[in-house]
Amino acid sequence: MSTAGGIGTAQETAQRPEPGTAPPAARVRALRKVFGRVTAVDGVDLDVPAGSVFGMLGPNGSGKTTLIRMLLGLTRPTSGSVELLGLPVPAGLPAALPDVGALVEGPGFHPFLTGRENLRRVAAVEPRLAARDTGPAVDAALERVGLADAARRRFRGYSLGMKQRLGLAAALLVPRRLVVLDEPTNGLDPAGTREIRAVVADLRATGATVLLSSHLLSEVEAVCTHVAVLKQGSLLAAGELGRLLDAVAGGWEIATTDPGPALRVLREAGATARADGPGVLVEDGPDGPVLFAALVRAEVPVHGLRRHRPDLETLFTRITES
Amino acid sequence: MNRTGAPTAPRPVSWGRLLGAELRWVLRRPRTWLMLVLLTAVPVLMAIGIVLSDRPRRSLLAEVTGNGLTLPVVALSILLTLLLPLVVAVAAADAIAGESQHGTLRGLLLAPVGRVRLVAMKSVGVLVVAALAVGLVTVAGLAAGWLMIGPPAVLGADGALLTMSGTTLSPSGALYRIVLVAAWTLVQLAAVGAVALAVSAWTEHPLVVLSSVLGGLILFGVLTSIPALEPLHPWLITTGWGAAADVLRDPVPAGELVRSTLVAAGYLAVGGAVLMVRMVRRDA
Repeated sequence: MSTAGGIGTAQETAQRPEPGTAPPAARVRALRKVFGRVTAVDGVDLDVPAGSVFGMLGPNGSGKTTLIRMLLGLTRPTSGSVELLGLPVPAGLPAALPDVGALVEGPGFHPFLTGRENLRRVAAVEPRLAARDTGPAVDAALERVGLADAARRRFRGYSLGMKQRLGLAAALLVPRRLVVLDEPTNGLDPAGTREIRAVVADLRATGATVLLSSHLLSEVEAVCTHVAVLKQGSLLAAGELGRLLDAVAGGWEIATTDPGPALRVLREAGATARADGPGVLVEDGPDGPVLFAALVRAEVPVHGLRRHRPDLETLFTRITES
Repeated sequence: MNRTGAPTAPRPVSWGRLLGAELRWVLRRPRTWLMLVLLTAVPVLMAIGIVLSDRPRRSLLAEVTGNGLTLPVVALSILLTLLLPLVVAVAAADAIAGESQHGTLRGLLLAPVGRVRLVAMKSVGVLVVAALAVGLVTVAGLAAGWLMIGPPAVLGADGALLTMSGTTLSPSGALYRIVLVAAWTLVQLAAVGAVALAVSAWTEHPLVVLSSVLGGLILFGVLTSIPALEPLHPWLITTGWGAAADVLRDPVPAGELVRSTLVAAGYLAVGGAVLMVRMVRRDA
């Protein structure tokens, strides 16, 4: 199972800052939000490293969107502090937000305007665009998300996927340092989902930070370098995806052409093991070298032995259910 | 792009561009034009009605009640009781509550359009709709009255009809009175608009804004009809709305026009303050 993401490692560029040199794209400290009797976000400390593709995971109602909304100054925290691109929120929002593109809580547009007119309205208030550049920028953004042909249709007639694409076009109207995508694949077909993945990879290649929330673990696993797991408003885990997976890694994968005898030998050696595909998976027991030695002594053919790394779903389940 | 330090923050979008975007949005809206066309039709229909009911011989009464001066004044006065506030309330409802409902308020704040600038932009949008409505009704009333019935005429201070030489004002004198009543009406509507925007800032349901404004006007009407509540009456904005007809008298009695303008200014100030306080804190 690939983990840290093939896209990421392939496009790891020389210009990426050394870890720790750039300020985090977003930072929250002791962040708390209470709605009446419900605590939506409960004392969260989180850094979104610059240049990362940061995935926020959590069941519905875990506080992902509320956290994002506080980050962008759309909702005031009950307590705690927020920094966006190194600037305090809300005082620094006028300076920070022009470099932030966001698609939060679904795309917001007017049904009586066409897709193009809606984007023009967004472009008209975009400080990073000179007045004369708004037209070309809108056309380029529509082209980029594959809506050029539907640009002259009214937004009311758009499908869910087209609406989502238009929202993405608005977020990416100008180059951004941070792009926040809340459930970006909602309503998209598999082709659209792949396109989002490509967009995220492009953004990452330009050095932008991407913060995305999703309930689709496979999506997050495919594109993210970092993840945070939220549950009932609390942060359960956060960090580099690879390290988190390593941390819960346990057991060994043994490639063998003779699983029957292998299982017997391993169980005799005190391991909990089961057949797994063509090989054997050791879930618990002695360390790898000990098992290897036992197998070799019993003359079981061993083609390979490596640490078993769970997929994100296993990690997620383990974190949220513990 | 500079990732080690923050790039210089761009200058905010110019006021002209911001207001241009807002007005384009307001005027692209089909319902804005539908409302304006219907409003414009009212004085024209009134003129047609007067002409038809007065055939075959045009009476002196028609000359007075429907001429180029009285028709715009009467039309504004009648429309101010309900329809003009409704048009302003619709514009105010769309301006904030409607944007919030569609999720576009979020987009504006994320652009970012500062919250104070957002209030200014939205207020101008509503004011422009009010001004268009008043302007169209006035021009339509003036044109329809003058063309179909006769030139501007005026009543004496005692309510008696002036002599023929006195009934006809000079064009500039008539225009002055028409501009006066239109400006006065716009001030009253600005007050309604400020209160409507304040309500709009508290909700994401445009209907709440409409029902609040119309409900408020009806409530004020009920309160006005209760004699025991007389001390309250001067504070109700609707109490002064009869003052429009004062411009038909000669000389124009200024008292009620001034008083009602001051009351409207009070509503405007309170509505504006609530609007601003709410929008600075509002979730989007």
